[in-house]
Amino acid sequence: MALAINELCVNCYACEPLCPNSAIYLARPHFRIDPALCTECLGEYDAPQCAEICPIEAAIIDEAGEALNPPGSLTGIPLQALAAAAAALAGTQAHLPVMGQGAGGAP
Amino acid sequence: MDLPVLTPSTPAASGGCSSSSCGSSAEQMSHLPEDILRRVQDHPCYSEDAHHHFARMHVAVAPACNIQCNYCNRKYDCANESRPGVVSELLTPDQAVKKTLVVASEIPQMSVLGIAGPGDPLANPERTFETFRKVAEYAPDIKLCVSTNGLSLPSVVDELSQYNIDHVTITINCVDPEIGARIYPWIFWNNRRIRGVEGARILIEQQQKGLEMLVERGVLVKVNSVMIPGVNDVHLKEVSRIVKSKGAFLHNVMPLISEPEHGTFYGLTGQRGPTQDELMALQDACAGDMNMMRHCRQCRADAVGLLGEDRGDEFTLEKIEMMTIDYAAAMKRRAVLRADVLAKLDARRSVKASNGLVSLVPAGAAPAPERQTRPVKIAVATAGGGVINQHFGHAREFLVYEASTEGARFISHRKTDLYCAGGDTCGDGESVLQRTIRALEGCEVVLCSKIGFEPWGQLEAAGIQPNGEHAMEPIEEAVMAVYREMAEAGKLAPREMPLRHSA
Repeated sequence: MALAINELCVNCYACEPLCPNSAIYLARPHFRIDPALCTECLGEYDAPQCAEICPIEAAIIDEAGEALNPPGSLTGIPLQALAAAAAALAGTQAHLPVMGQGAGGAP
Repeated sequence: MDLPVLTPSTPAASGGCSSSSCGSSAEQMSHLPEDILRRVQDHPCYSEDAHHHFARMHVAVAPACNIQCNYCNRKYDCANESRPGVVSELLTPDQAVKKTLVVASEIPQMSVLGIAGPGDPLANPERTFETFRKVAEYAPDIKLCVSTNGLSLPSVVDELSQYNIDHVTITINCVDPEIGARIYPWIFWNNRRIRGVEGARILIEQQQKGLEMLVERGVLVKVNSVMIPGVNDVHLKEVSRIVKSKGAFLHNVMPLISEPEHGTFYGLTGQRGPTQDELMALQDACAGDMNMMRHCRQCRADAVGLLGEDRGDEFTLEKIEMMTIDYAAAMKRRAVLRADVLAKLDARRSVKASNGLVSLVPAGAAPAPERQTRPVKIAVATAGGGVINQHFGHAREFLVYEASTEGARFISHRKTDLYCAGGDTCGDGESVLQRTIRALEGCEVVLCSKIGFEPWGQLEAAGIQPNGEHAMEPIEEAVMAVYREMAEAGKLAPREMPLRHSA
């Protein structure tokens, strides 16, 4: 049982020092979690520390692929507004994938 | 408008800012004790006067943040962007130290190194403090400063005061948790994400405690506030009063930036930023309680250069790795330049203090009866040095002065690129000239070294008189000369009604 960091990660380093198991490491293109070390903070904290501080919605997922912080849950931005922004960005700035994918995955 | 009265200065005042000759400083700084004035005289971010001559740089070593603000989007980085919190390249502390030494050698005016992000510097204490420690060791002639949201401040205050960091900026947008909950959706505190009013309450508590602790230790504290219309605009007057009473020496009210394409909560939910007039009205309202700052450029967390310019591209990681530095030699050049500039500034101050520049009446003229003339906003194009030396079309920002019978007072700067230089591919495709004219709203004259035929006509049509006759003259003298001409031409009768008809 382990969490994972996906390609939405913006490499802000916030999670890395918080991990009680030192399971998070700097990698390219983004930080990763060593599944052999991750315990999802069970027995250490009420909630997994990486997901508690991560500012990026849907960047940390569990083994089922479910986002611990689903779209809209951290910024409070309504999903329609996120989707509209993603569509606008996809039209003009295809080199900024993070936005598009975050919202594209929204139901 | 309710203006603080600038009294004609006494030449004997021992080198302090005692007249309008300090630009914005006259108002923002005049209440400061002499020792604080000395500490900020070469800090471009604190003194409008210094900013014409000294440069600052930021190094982006602090990526992590411990709160979310509704005006921030951690995902966004665009090369055309020049907002706070945005960077192109994250540096390790060692890379940051090298970059600082290189820039200080190449730009001897660089007097201040700041760490401002792109996250919160104090949420990255190891990286931030390692950078400060090493810069203090290798380049003791560089001032250090740091900006923070304040959440971690109380826990690091003691470490912070060890590194000779004598300026700290805290962003304080509210002192009321209910208002805070509309600005901060969450904070990370004691290993938990805490949302809403409770999160805002903790943040406010830590900010206020941090402010008090810094003041107790003799560290200069500036407070930044983002003005968010309908959320904290009225409330910021109370914030100003409180932070002043706790000992902050300067308050900087900045406008919210909330373009939808930035992808922030405010941007995507239609929260607008303030107009220039709303911003200035609030700054004036706060000025009764507090030393206000009006020349902040809201620069990027990796900006390099004089205020209003960003030479970051000349100092990318790739480029600085190729450079070698003889810092001992650089430090000598820097000391010479610094002494030279400070002497010039002092000289200018005393000349202006004694020659009656602040008066509407030229020296030698018979004292005029108290003629009522209204104040006028005059925009200036300058590339630094305190003189009018920039072509209208090359100006990326204008300094706005208010001329009145009390003298010339710097009141704001206006960006023409509106934080984006992306041309027609982003934004609304408005022409640069149209944007510039919009940015100059409320100004009646624009002073520049030269101006082309087309912009001349369009400016006149918009009610703004272009004027290239004062090229290379000191800004405040030129502003007052123009004001006197307008007064003599009878253009400055007090307004009964909006005076658009004369345009």
